[in-house]
Amino acid sequence: MKNRLKRFTPVQRIFHAVLMLSFIFMGATGLSRMYMNTPWGKWMGSLFGGYDVSLAAHKYVGICMIIGFLIHFLYLMIKINWLNFPKSVIGPDSLLPRPKDMTDFFQHIGWFFGAKKLPEFDRWGYWEKFDYWAVFWGMAIIGVTGLMMAFPLFATRYMPGWGLNVAFWIHRIEAILAMAHVFIIHFFIAHLRRHHFPMDRAMFEGSSDLATIKSEKAAWLDRLKNSGELEGMLVAQAAPLRRVVFYCFGYAVVASGLFLLIGALVNFRFILW
Amino acid sequence: MTLKHIIFKPLICFALPMVTCVFIVSGIGWGQEETASFIRRYKQYEVSSGYYEQYEVKPRHERPFVEIPGVRTGRFPYSPSGAAVRFNARRADAHQGIRFYENRRCEDCHMAQTLDLHTIRANLTCRQCHGGEPIANNDHYFSPMNPIRRHAYVCSKCHQGASAAYSAYVIHEPNPSLMATQESFPVLFYAFWIMIGIAVGTFAVFLPHTILWGIRELFFKKETTVEAPHEKQT
Repeated sequence: MKNRLKRFTPVQRIFHAVLMLSFIFMGATGLSRMYMNTPWGKWMGSLFGGYDVSLAAHKYVGICMIIGFLIHFLYLMIKINWLNFPKSVIGPDSLLPRPKDMTDFFQHIGWFFGAKKLPEFDRWGYWEKFDYWAVFWGMAIIGVTGLMMAFPLFATRYMPGWGLNVAFWIHRIEAILAMAHVFIIHFFIAHLRRHHFPMDRAMFEGSSDLATIKSEKAAWLDRLKNSGELEGMLVAQAAPLRRVVFYCFGYAVVASGLFLLIGALVNFRFILW
Repeated sequence: MTLKHIIFKPLICFALPMVTCVFIVSGIGWGQEETASFIRRYKQYEVSSGYYEQYEVKPRHERPFVEIPGVRTGRFPYSPSGAAVRFNARRADAHQGIRFYENRRCEDCHMAQTLDLHTIRANLTCRQCHGGEPIANNDHYFSPMNPIRRHAYVCSKCHQGASAAYSAYVIHEPNPSLMATQESFPVLFYAFWIMIGIAVGTFAVFLPHTILWGIRELFFKKETTVEAPHEKQT
């Protein structure tokens, strides 16, 4: 029975899965370096073969991530409809922020307190747009500062060495922000709140349950109904075995993320900076 | 025009002034300016050959009207208050005259300097960079730690190919959150607090937002039927 609405293409899902794996790996190797003087950090470094190896792995995987980011950028450039350019990236189907996101945000807050109606979100909720752009700029900031530190001799041909001190702190704080945001807020919104519990499979299966779309993305559903596109975008649920794989993969990453989060919080005061 | 004119006229017009310039004028200023300027040091060479030794010369005579921030200030910096640093700190042996020096450890006095990445994470000891006795101050002209040769004498022991710009990395990095750092390393201070501001701002908005959202959804059941009969899903 076709009762799910297509949301993501296979390419987008593969990108997300690769990003998940590399993000967790970068988080683990990076934290093992940051917590090097705590037993927890030492143990985690030993998982990757010691803190030297974890740094080397951090650099290689980081470079892969940056290449992935560049491929994603090329993907965007190819996907944008350049014939009617400014119009094609403005509108409800685009991830670019628009004024309605701001009003949606405040109306949503009002709904939390029961003061307002639940806003009719379109294809992308403001929190989804925020997640996307946070990763986008986070990749740029962490990537550039990371490259500076991975190739310090090259970097200092164009800037003084004290720029590396600054790059290190920017890299660290941005990484802490990114991990905390993903491990607390992104995981909660995708997994733990009642409408998605135990897991929002949209990013793995590529489709969302129509009932969830109805309550959460009402404007989008209306738009699809009015334009007659809805029928073509309905798909059936994935086979049980594939769903098991989605759950295992998703929860393995959630568990690793929470492990990193808790370990980092517990040991935070023992770090010698 | 005779041959004598053809030879001597250019000689007098061009060669004589050139010889004058090369032997007299340059000797006073230009020749040393390049390598021994107080302010520029080796900056123009740092990405070139990497060989400096043959160009190294002793510092020029002191220039009374040149100020060095934090070291020599004022119009005429020869008064007792002209130098802002201890006189000891410019000596070849920075610890000269310290009592029971032989029985002390570096961290007895320089505790703050033991808390950096090189010491804590790379397990370096003080002497691996600062060398054996006598330890000259970094600013002493012949010290291996002098910024004009630190990259070649110290940094490149581990970081092969280190340039002078590379060695401007601040090893004993100040705590970026402290107000004192605003003075000593303002870029680090502002970068730190701007990043902290972004992080705190994000969580100040999204943490309460997410908690309230989670609580609100406990009291809000989504519809499970949409226009056609569908089975309930998670």
